[in-house]
Amino acid sequence: MLLRRLIAAALLGAVALGVRGQDAFDLTAPARGVYVHLGRPVALDAPGHDDIANIGFIVGERCVAVIDTGGSPRTGRRLRAAIREHTALPICYVINTHVHVDHLLGNTAFREDRPSFVGHSALPGAISRSRDFFLKEYAGDLDAPASEDQIIGPERLVEKELMLDLGHRPIRLHAWPEAHTDCDLTVYDERTATLWTGDLLFRQRLPALDGSIKGWLAVIDGLPRGARLAVPGHGEVTSDLAAALGSERAYLQSLLEGVRRELADGKSMQDAMAHVGTDEKSHWLLFDQVHARNVARAYEELQWE
Amino acid sequence: MKISSSSAVMLAAMTLAAVPAFCADETQPSGSAWEFLRAKYYGDKPMGLVDENYMSLEVPANTPDPAATPLTLRFADDEQRRIKRVRVFADNNPAPLVATFDFAGTPVTEIDLHVRIDRFTSVRVVAEKADGGLEMRSAWVKASGGCSAPPSAAPGGTLGEIRLRPASDSKSVLVSIRHPNSSGFQIDPKTGDNIAPHYISHIRLNSGGAAVLEADTGISISENPTLRIASDKSLAMPLSVDAVDSVTQAHFTASTLP
Repeated sequence: MLLRRLIAAALLGAVALGVRGQDAFDLTAPARGVYVHLGRPVALDAPGHDDIANIGFIVGERCVAVIDTGGSPRTGRRLRAAIREHTALPICYVINTHVHVDHLLGNTAFREDRPSFVGHSALPGAISRSRDFFLKEYAGDLDAPASEDQIIGPERLVEKELMLDLGHRPIRLHAWPEAHTDCDLTVYDERTATLWTGDLLFRQRLPALDGSIKGWLAVIDGLPRGARLAVPGHGEVTSDLAAALGSERAYLQSLLEGVRRELADGKSMQDAMAHVGTDEKSHWLLFDQVHARNVARAYEELQWE
Repeated sequence: MKISSSSAVMLAAMTLAAVPAFCADETQPSGSAWEFLRAKYYGDKPMGLVDENYMSLEVPANTPDPAATPLTLRFADDEQRRIKRVRVFADNNPAPLVATFDFAGTPVTEIDLHVRIDRFTSVRVVAEKADGGLEMRSAWVKASGGCSAPPSAAPGGTLGEIRLRPASDSKSVLVSIRHPNSSGFQIDPKTGDNIAPHYISHIRLNSGGAAVLEADTGISISENPTLRIASDKSLAMPLSVDAVDSVTQAHFTASTLP
């Protein structure tokens, strides 16, 4: 009887959690005042492709900082509605960890909050280079009719480091040299020792190289190891940042060494695409969609060594 | 967990510039572009479709980057059917003649080049044999936006810098040239202005003091033009390359140590 009641209570609890999760955009709170929505591990042309990145927010005593906004205004609005279920504090900052659509196209949903949009000092340039591409290829994800003014870049730029205060809640923004992209930014919440890595850390989903293979490996070594919790750009939140970075490093290292070997052996880019890093395939999701491009990118970089 | 295997387009999200596009509206190669090109370059001479052992063209199934799509051309080292000249076409590019290769002495068995693909297109390799006969291979490439993709944010290096990478067995060499190779269809994202065409117009590769190959190139070649040549025989050292700038007519040169 007692057992049955316990089970019932547990079930009720699960249902309650589930319901709350659904109402609040499947948000989890891995640390006090830190809210994360996990993106889905689907390909970019699959249903739900505008919701593949991890996005979320940090709540201070004075205001809220949003970190990445999803791959469409619709996803951004869902995040905004979820924020309002947790706090009525104003949204003072919208921070983008880099230029990719899945982290950025939801910005426009926060325009009415009049936040300060914050990003890497190289982010405005990256957006201007990508704007036409976004408008052409992601028109269906923008509000109709797709328009340039929906793509919002930062007006507050981080050259190297910037401290923001959300009200007794300092967060440290760090702008990195070229790695995953040329505009990667991390956010460190000092209160809970939580590091938002942006796409400098991928888990489960195969890392996508759009910057420098050598740069990314160097930045991995430079990320603060003291974090108690890490929110990756894709994949699950982890309390073991070192292990998560180790898996990513293993892939990137095999890419680096494999492409160098192909170049030394006089192999073509297509040979390298066929040979390099295939033993990493079982460790990652969406490998076939991304890996060949990573090899090509690494080849373009390393052919100059 | 089930992994969606539907397409390579996911890459698009991870990419700053131009990427494999969603445009599936153009499904079949249009024959008329090719009819025009064929008449222009070859008149009404008959053209064979050769077997893959004699000549082949390999393109990636999922184009990693439409502005630098790798093409691999392979040729048999066939004394009877010696190739004199090879042209590469991308039918639907604004400049469909991608490159013309004139072979000299050393038999070339493989050429790799990275090209801009403007929209879905047939890519063709036409070989002109010593006896005047013509042979063709073609492949369908699903990529778009390669001619108008914005230039790299940080080009790096010095314009005209050349890297020569002979393979450890000396049977191949990779030539990399630092150059924007601007197509004339790109926009400067900072100013919104059109970027004038500016490209490598000619590349000559020498081996042991004799020409291996002369290439006429143009705006359909990728930024930082990359050319790889392989042979069944070792390439005599030193290797040297001479590349010509379309605007300044400057010659950029490099060679391995003699």
